[in-house]
Amino acid sequence: MSETKLDVTGLNCPLPILHARKLLQGVSAGTVVDIRASDPASVKDFNAFCRKTNSDLLEHTEERGIFTFSIRKGK
Amino acid sequence: MADIDPAGLVAAASFTLGLVFGATSWISGFCAMGALSDILFLDDWRRLRSWLLATAVALIGTQGLDAAGLVDLGRSVYLGGPLSWGGAILGGLMFGVGMTLAGGCGAKTVVRLGGGNLKSLVVLLVSGLFAMMTLKGLLAPLRQAWERLTPLGVMGGSVAAPSLPAVLEEIGPPEVAARGFPVALIAGGLVWWCLKDAAFRRSAGYLFGGLIIGLLIPAGWTASAILGADPFDPVPPTSFSFAAPIGGALIYLMTFTGASLSFGVAAVAGTLAGAFAAAALRREVRIEGFADTGDLRRHLAGAALMGTGGVLALGCTVGQGLTGLSTLSLSAPLALAAIAAGGVLGLKRLETGGFVAAINSLAGRGEGRSGGVGGCEAPPRNAGCEAPPRNGGCEAPPRNGGCCG
Repeated sequence: MSETKLDVTGLNCPLPILHARKLLQGVSAGTVVDIRASDPASVKDFNAFCRKTNSDLLEHTEERGIFTFSIRKGK
Repeated sequence: MADIDPAGLVAAASFTLGLVFGATSWISGFCAMGALSDILFLDDWRRLRSWLLATAVALIGTQGLDAAGLVDLGRSVYLGGPLSWGGAILGGLMFGVGMTLAGGCGAKTVVRLGGGNLKSLVVLLVSGLFAMMTLKGLLAPLRQAWERLTPLGVMGGSVAAPSLPAVLEEIGPPEVAARGFPVALIAGGLVWWCLKDAAFRRSAGYLFGGLIIGLLIPAGWTASAILGADPFDPVPPTSFSFAAPIGGALIYLMTFTGASLSFGVAAVAGTLAGAFAAAALRREVRIEGFADTGDLRRHLAGAALMGTGGVLALGCTVGQGLTGLSTLSLSAPLALAAIAAGGVLGLKRLETGGFVAAINSLAGRGEGRSGGVGGCEAPPRNAGCEAPPRNGGCEAPPRNGGCCG
């Protein structure tokens, strides 16, 4: 079964996006992946990432410096 | 009536301009490495457009100041002394690779530190150390030998200065055309290319970020050359740069009682304060530390490369890419191209896990863009927290089987 969770806390641009891209390449369309990051730039980066990969950013939260993103891979 | 100290005026003006630089960078996300990674990994060219808009605005403003006789660019380090093509290229490559390892260039490091990133504090200290070692310390003899080996001779030394207008003037056109034509062509071309993209025009942060940062360059020249004009102590005019000034800031902190505040050091301080102010007001300050040993190693290597390369190339992304280019110095495009090449190579190395794989990927061979993220960059499971990561950073093989590049 493909991995659908990614923890890139502690890593800074561009590594979160790099790892997210690889994660998405390994799952099929429609799969929801959950990503944890700590880089404040990741909010902007993941918004752009979703637009470029035709994915849906279902939810994003922040709690005590940790950002979580739920992304559904588009077609 | 009390005498106004020109050096003090320059420092105050430079600090203020730095405040604007830092705050603008934080809010807009202005970032050279970010521009390259956006293109490589997101096919998003807006951040590069932001950078190039700044370049165009800086060029127009700076050349205007020089043409009006308000600033003598010929006395700056970019035009006033011997240049080295080897320094520009090797230094630029080192800086470009270094910034991908250290999470951003010198300016970005200062801005990130303002946002609470303690990794950037380490980068600042190490890059400053290496910058001063390269400028005047242990590495300086190597730098000088390399520069002597690779001088940028221009037309046998017959031109007035190693700048594009001077070369053109030597060939034929009068000064007005020799300056006006390249400025119109380069700046005009860049502005057209930037604004023709609807997505960029809609991105207020990138558009105004580029505009404001671009205006800060001639503002810096003005502060340095006009406010700082002192016939008893003439100082070469300058504007924003971060490679050597970060080193200078460390020296200033260590020798405060006997030191004077230069434009560069005051600008670094202002940038730090401006970024912190913006981050604090937006409640975006986050204290960050290293994820694991691999993260520390990358940042240390990146910092050393940036400090050494930035001085060798006569400037960093801002120092050569914005300020140097604004003088139309012949070394600036060399340095900037090398920084960009190093940045692309460094980013590809992060993606593929090794320099050879990166080069193969760029050449269209090997795994290409969809290649795995291998080696030391595998994500630690709980990075940034107190418990050790499960894979121990670079020391254990990552899940995708890549090897440390």
